[in-house]
Amino acid sequence: MSPEVALHRISPELRPLLCSVVRNGRVGLDSTNCLRVTDLKTGCTSLTPGPCCDRFKLHIPYAGETLKWDIIFNARYPELPPDFIFGEDAEFLPEPSELPHLVQWDAGNPECLLQLVKELIQQYHHYQCQRLRESSRLLFEYDSLLEDPDYGHNMEIYAGRKNSWTGEFSARFLLKLPVDFSNIPVYLLKDTALDPGEDVALLSVSFEDAEATQVFPKLYLSPSIEHALGGSSALHIPAFPSGGCLIDYVPQVCQLLTNKVQYVIQGYHKRREYIAAFLSHFGMGVVEYDAEGFTKLTLLLMWKDFCFLVHVDLPLYFPRDQPTLTFQSVYHFTNSGQLYSQVQKSYPYSPRWDGNEMAKRAKNPFK
Amino acid sequence: MAASISGYTFSSVCYHSANSNSDHEGFLLGEVRQEETVSISDTQISTAELLQVVEIHNHDPCAQLFSFYDYAGKVSEENLNSILKDRRKNVIGWYRFRRNTQQQMSFREQIIHKQLTQLLGVPDLVFLLFSFISTANSSTHALEYVLFRPNRRYNQRITLTIPNLGNTSQQEYKVSSVPNTSLNYAKVIKEHGAEFFDKDGVMKDIRTIFQVYSALQDKVQAVCAEVEQSERVKEKIQEDVNKLKQQIALRKRKTEEEERKLCEAQNADSHSTPEENTEPSEASLLSRITFHTPSAPERSRIMFHTPSAPERPSTSPNPPSYADLLTQDDSLPSSSSSPPTSAALLPRPQAVGSPGHPTPGPLGMGLGLGLSLGLSASSNPVTTPSTPYLGNGDGSSSDSLDRQAAGQEDDDDDDDDDEDEDSSEYENLVSEATHLPMVTASVLAQGRPAALSPDGDARGSQTT
Repeated sequence: MSPEVALHRISPELRPLLCSVVRNGRVGLDSTNCLRVTDLKTGCTSLTPGPCCDRFKLHIPYAGETLKWDIIFNARYPELPPDFIFGEDAEFLPEPSELPHLVQWDAGNPECLLQLVKELIQQYHHYQCQRLRESSRLLFEYDSLLEDPDYGHNMEIYAGRKNSWTGEFSARFLLKLPVDFSNIPVYLLKDTALDPGEDVALLSVSFEDAEATQVFPKLYLSPSIEHALGGSSALHIPAFPSGGCLIDYVPQVCQLLTNKVQYVIQGYHKRREYIAAFLSHFGMGVVEYDAEGFTKLTLLLMWKDFCFLVHVDLPLYFPRDQPTLTFQSVYHFTNSGQLYSQVQKSYPYSPRWDGNEMAKRAKNPFK
Repeated sequence: MAASISGYTFSSVCYHSANSNSDHEGFLLGEVRQEETVSISDTQISTAELLQVVEIHNHDPCAQLFSFYDYAGKVSEENLNSILKDRRKNVIGWYRFRRNTQQQMSFREQIIHKQLTQLLGVPDLVFLLFSFISTANSSTHALEYVLFRPNRRYNQRITLTIPNLGNTSQQEYKVSSVPNTSLNYAKVIKEHGAEFFDKDGVMKDIRTIFQVYSALQDKVQAVCAEVEQSERVKEKIQEDVNKLKQQIALRKRKTEEEERKLCEAQNADSHSTPEENTEPSEASLLSRITFHTPSAPERSRIMFHTPSAPERPSTSPNPPSYADLLTQDDSLPSSSSSPPTSAALLPRPQAVGSPGHPTPGPLGMGLGLGLSLGLSASSNPVTTPSTPYLGNGDGSSSDSLDRQAAGQEDDDDDDDDDEDEDSSEYENLVSEATHLPMVTASVLAQGRPAALSPDGDARGSQTT
């Protein structure tokens, strides 16, 4: 159900509350998506003319799961605070005193419901951490992470249901990695169609059993970061070492990611440098170049009255990866009607050269 | 654990709920009792099953939401008391109605339930959840109800039975044990209950029927006793009769012999006057078989001696009925009105054993005679004709007549007891007749009737 439909059907007095939830509601670590609302129903008699819906299901992402909580208002008494049914978590019973926005419910404040949901999520988190106590191993993991200031406060734990047949206990840790993405050039992040939201990298580690013998880590990046880093295939995180623990593994992953980011940033600068050097060397021959990402450069060169185009494609991980040179004839066509071109990859190249050096050395292959 | 709710309470809750335009809640009043079932079978030692039964008698709807708790779900005892007042001790649970929601206790409901359990002091407080589901096009509406006992860890849902809600075409209409606690009902029953119930709370009809039964039993027993008595008397009299017969025969033989001798002698001389033999015998007979009925103060205790033996005729060819002989005048005591049997004295509902049986004719021997005399004498109030003696003259009894007569006499007696029209006379007769059974032997022994004419006049003054 799209937010607009939900807002249309809900009782007018409750509309502001729901508005802030569906439009601005981001709860928890994974805030790429807003909270979703489904199953709008009414508590009034069926003869009441609409819109009069006052109860709905709220989908909240948490620790890799989606919590489906029922929120129950009364359209006839919109000033009253809502009631909740916590879906399958029948044992989750937060202490009302820990929910200030419930105790001092203010129906006139549009943010009240959203704040209340956030407080509930917090309580839910505590509840799940309590459940970790059933496994000492996982509890240890949790406690050790908690002590680390980098990770301790950006953690969501989901202690799964015990498998009733085998008595297994499982848990999932969702950690927000403290990687600085701010230096990533803006152009890299611009390509995503939707509002990318906050740039975040989340590491999800699933423990399928209490003894941590089956551990499945997964890295989630917000779309723009993923794009900036070269797509989902570019990032491979190491497997969780058996017998290892999170407090060692997580920094490892963090470091890896940080390195990657650094590399990307560096690459950007290097490319810029490269292009700048080429520009200075082949200034008159430059047809066009990518002035934002510095990924492409096209030169029109003449050698002994033979004009040709050179397209230089700079890869993402330049200077580690060698740029691709594509020579293109301006005179001849191939059978398929394209300009004749020849790709040249193997030419003397070394990543250690700086831009000037590369430009100079590039003249040779051009000849 | 089982739970039941009466149909009218359930429908009342549904009515309140369906008519509210929002969620609705209230309290359930009733009682919890323990039922122990002991089952014994051949294969195992007796096992006792303990079943807790929750009965919901009534409900107390709350006028609005949040009436006894605040936003945080904290229950206010003051408000609770002002809502429940003196019904607080009857609370066994509470209920909530919400439309289009899951059948699961919500966050606030759980918090409230915990507090209510503590405040009301009911360890197994139940929670009845109604949810009303409507389809999108409002074509189908379903009212679902679940009874929870959230204070238990397992088996939190209990089935709620509503007696007589279901397919009653194949079952009988059940009377449930849920009592009706309506005040108006109790008032009406109290007012009009006295017409149906006596002071012990037992229905009067039952008691009356039981009384009839007892009366009949007693009568039967009395009749048995009387039958026995009269059989004995009959035996005795039969013996006497036989003896007398023998004597008569002997005398006859003697007289014949004497006559023969006389004849022979007279034949030599002349004829002598013949005697009448039978009469003296008769007289003596009669003189013996009169009864002397002393006055008896208790007429109520008379064993009514039914002359099971018929009136015993003498062996004379014209046997005077004893009734004839003894049928008499007023001085003759006879029980006109028969006192009631010595069995349990019972009130006399007219409906039971209506009188109107014809009085039997003069029946029975000495003992029965008086009574029968009385009967025949008192037949007037009953306006039944006195049946003439129908014995077959040889001392045998016609059973049917006797029995019928016996019964009739009983009824007559009973009836006559009440209908003492010829009161004084009959009372005398009755009172004197009470000792009839006892004085059998003495009567026979005494041989002097009080006022019995030893001749055939008695026959003349038979039944009135």
